[in-house]
Amino acid sequence: MKRTLYIIGGLILLAGTDACTKLDNYPEPKETLKGTVVDVATGEPVLTDQGSEGTRVRMRELTWTASEPENLDFFCMKEGIFQNTKVFQGTYNVRVDGAFIPLVRLNADGDTLANESKTLEIKGVTELEFKVQPFLKLEWVGTPSVANGKVTATVKVTRAVSPADFKAKIGPMGNYSDDELNEMLQVTDVRLFVSQVPYVGYREWDNRYSTIVNYAGNAFEALLGQPVTITTQGTIPAGRTVFIRAAARINYATENIKRHNYNAAVRVDIPR
Amino acid sequence: MKLKYFLFILLGIGSITISCKSYLDVPPKNIVNESDLFSNSKGMSLYLSRMYSQMPFEDFKYSPARQFFDDWLVTPGTNEGSSLGRDAGEAMTSEGWARNGAYWVRAFNLLRDANTLLENLPAFKTNFTDAELNEYMGEAHFARAMVFYALAKRYGGVPLVTKVLKYPENPAAQLEIPRSTEEETWNQVLADFDEAVGLLPETSPVKGYANKYVALGFKSEAMLFAGSVAKYNRITGFGQKTKVRVIGFDPATAAATSKKYFTEAYKAADAIIQSGKYSLYKKKWAANDKEAQYQNMVDMFFDASSTENIYTKDYKYPDLPHGYDAYNIPRQLMGGNGYSAGNCPTLDFVELFDGFPKNPDGTIKVLDAQGKYVLYDKVTDLFANAEPRLRANVILPGDVFKQEAIEIRRGIFTGSVAGGIAPLRVVNGATDYSFGGPQTYNQVDAYTAKGAFSGKKSLFLSQNGTSHEVVTLLDGSKMNAGGKSGPFGNSDMTAAFTGFVVRKWLNPNMPQALVLEARSDQSFILMRYAEVLLNAAEAASELMLAGETTSEGDDLQTVAYNAVKEIRERAGANPLAGAGDVLGIPGRNLIRKERRKELAFEHKILWDIRRWRTQHSDVLNGFTQADGAYYRGLYPFYASAVNKYFFDAGFEEARKRFRITEQEYYFMIPSGEVTKSPVIDQQPGR
Repeated sequence: MKRTLYIIGGLILLAGTDACTKLDNYPEPKETLKGTVVDVATGEPVLTDQGSEGTRVRMRELTWTASEPENLDFFCMKEGIFQNTKVFQGTYNVRVDGAFIPLVRLNADGDTLANESKTLEIKGVTELEFKVQPFLKLEWVGTPSVANGKVTATVKVTRAVSPADFKAKIGPMGNYSDDELNEMLQVTDVRLFVSQVPYVGYREWDNRYSTIVNYAGNAFEALLGQPVTITTQGTIPAGRTVFIRAAARINYATENIKRHNYNAAVRVDIPR
Repeated sequence: MKLKYFLFILLGIGSITISCKSYLDVPPKNIVNESDLFSNSKGMSLYLSRMYSQMPFEDFKYSPARQFFDDWLVTPGTNEGSSLGRDAGEAMTSEGWARNGAYWVRAFNLLRDANTLLENLPAFKTNFTDAELNEYMGEAHFARAMVFYALAKRYGGVPLVTKVLKYPENPAAQLEIPRSTEEETWNQVLADFDEAVGLLPETSPVKGYANKYVALGFKSEAMLFAGSVAKYNRITGFGQKTKVRVIGFDPATAAATSKKYFTEAYKAADAIIQSGKYSLYKKKWAANDKEAQYQNMVDMFFDASSTENIYTKDYKYPDLPHGYDAYNIPRQLMGGNGYSAGNCPTLDFVELFDGFPKNPDGTIKVLDAQGKYVLYDKVTDLFANAEPRLRANVILPGDVFKQEAIEIRRGIFTGSVAGGIAPLRVVNGATDYSFGGPQTYNQVDAYTAKGAFSGKKSLFLSQNGTSHEVVTLLDGSKMNAGGKSGPFGNSDMTAAFTGFVVRKWLNPNMPQALVLEARSDQSFILMRYAEVLLNAAEAASELMLAGETTSEGDDLQTVAYNAVKEIRERAGANPLAGAGDVLGIPGRNLIRKERRKELAFEHKILWDIRRWRTQHSDVLNGFTQADGAYYRGLYPFYASAVNKYFFDAGFEEARKRFRITEQEYYFMIPSGEVTKSPVIDQQPGR
């Protein structure tokens, strides 16, 4: 009786282990896609926010044909670089959308005007560089100063794409009139984001201290290229370390989001 | 043994012969077929009951976070800005929380029922009179219109399934229907409402069924939505798979389309007004009698004979109850399930109303010219002359509910009042009412005994509803720091944490022992005459902005003015200055503000601010919801040294943050539905 039990037990065990030997027949996603989004004019990376209002990388796998390709989205790091180390080997279409002239442009009927997205085989470490035309460029002027728990910083906002170029590329997308295009080019707000982490941006800001300066209509036009000084709000406690960066955007949405252009985050220590 | 073989052979032959006979091919007796249901009015009432049970009615079983058919109803006024609840936060603009699934998936069940009726009922028309047949066909169009309307306002363009999809007769691949444009979808809504209006009877044959005026009411609401989106929406795009403009309108024709929809909205509302069948509820109303006007507005939500009700969703204990009272009761009247104050009106909402002191910017005035608190003898004095409609919406501090004064008190100030009491939100000597200031009163100097209060703690608070700091008053009696209904800061959210509790819909006659989940059965008014008047006024205003002066032979300005005037009069609000008040953008904004006051907590306002496309962009206490915005509360304090009350206004202590990005005006299509279909598009850009 005992032996029968052992035999039965052994058989069950055998069946169990046997069932495990059938392997997943797909290789693990171990390919890497990495790259940079750079300003075509200067070759510098296009700095961005790290959330969904920043530069979005959209991959669509074309190798899999059994169903419509799905959108695989991830977001650029704040330095304008992206990396995905868990990609299945295959052919992909990759596009980026951010605060720059859209790479894929459709007209009012949904027909393609231009498609600067990239289709490529991702295998091993595949590197990509997207050359784009950002709307705005932000630069620090001097170093931020601190007084009474407030940070004062000066930024310079310039256009990174000429209005003529913007109109030539965006205009046909909706048969926009010159007035409408001029309205899109208006700078709507400049912000000084404050956060206690270096990943400061639209999705990571402390609204006790950050400052938003809104500009109505064409008000900012005269300030383009001029130093703009912004001071943080409230009082940042003494001895704290914060990270600040400035952002500005125009009145135009890419992929239905009005995204900001950024400058580099800098560390500011509030003295004790 | 031989006999056994013989029997087997016999059995075999028998079964083979019988299997060929079709007389066994009878419909199963335990399945009800169309021919049974469509045979008489009894069968039809079963069919309609099933349809009505799936109707996307936004009532006591609906909340923005959890969507339809959900009993957990603690946050009905949140997101629209009228109130906050302990479960509220973010803007809850997706269907991500919907326990019963996104409406996208559920919608198609009712759509199929409606299409089945439309397609197959005519074959059984000999079973019914013409009037009955029209009624049933009208019901089907009404249901379909309601489904497409519910879908369109969430998703934009949707697959217009207008016939019964026959599966498995046809392969699934042939039955795929892509999303239509948003414009085509709204046109379908319009067409179905128009059919329903033409077919439905003047009065509902059974309470709860639709009728012509119900369809007209919802038509005006839906067309106002469509017109507003065509006019104010800024996001559009094409489906990745189909290249169809699944959200937004073609910019080239949007203005004309919006005018068409506003005209339809006006026509529908006007038809109800002209019918003379409905009127504003004024049974107890009396001119210049605020108490009567208040009582009138409380009663109107419970009077089944109200001439204002166009359509109600009725409940009945124990078959179909809800739990509104249990979740939203003031804390001191809490029922056995332990819920309370799920719906705390914001100060921002209260400030919309008339009848209490205000600063030039419209905020409540709680400080005197010297910047010190105004002291009141009674906690009710601040709102003693408040607009009756406000009191019918909100239980204000000290107001009576169920014969009991609702005690709303944040704390007791024991310090000196010589020279007046300075604003309380002070930390280390620095007064700060900005967002960066103290979040709760636990942090202020008067409580922590710092700064000017160094060494003398002058503020006493209760941290929750069960443990209180107790103050001995001048007369020797003792008083809990916090009121019986709170607020208790952000640590106990079962209290009136904004300083107010909702009154609208709360049953004033329900014994406390019955304030339980699934025990309430008051009706929810889905469509009432006041909304129709406001729909007419808003459509008129939009048409005037589009350059029209008359519609249907009416002078639009007169219609808009009279509508707002009547509503304000009934509400006991300050009268308008004149008919010029409804003109232009300021006039449109005045009508919008009137809506926010009249229709709060009725599942209308959130859709309004979404169709106006102002939810993300309206500046609220210095922030927009695009960046994350916060509401304010009003906190009553008792000054024990002089036996008086004062009020502190500022950001509410829980700091509930509301955030919505512009693209969230359109809900995401459930990703599984997009993946499995070769034609269903996700929202462009997402």
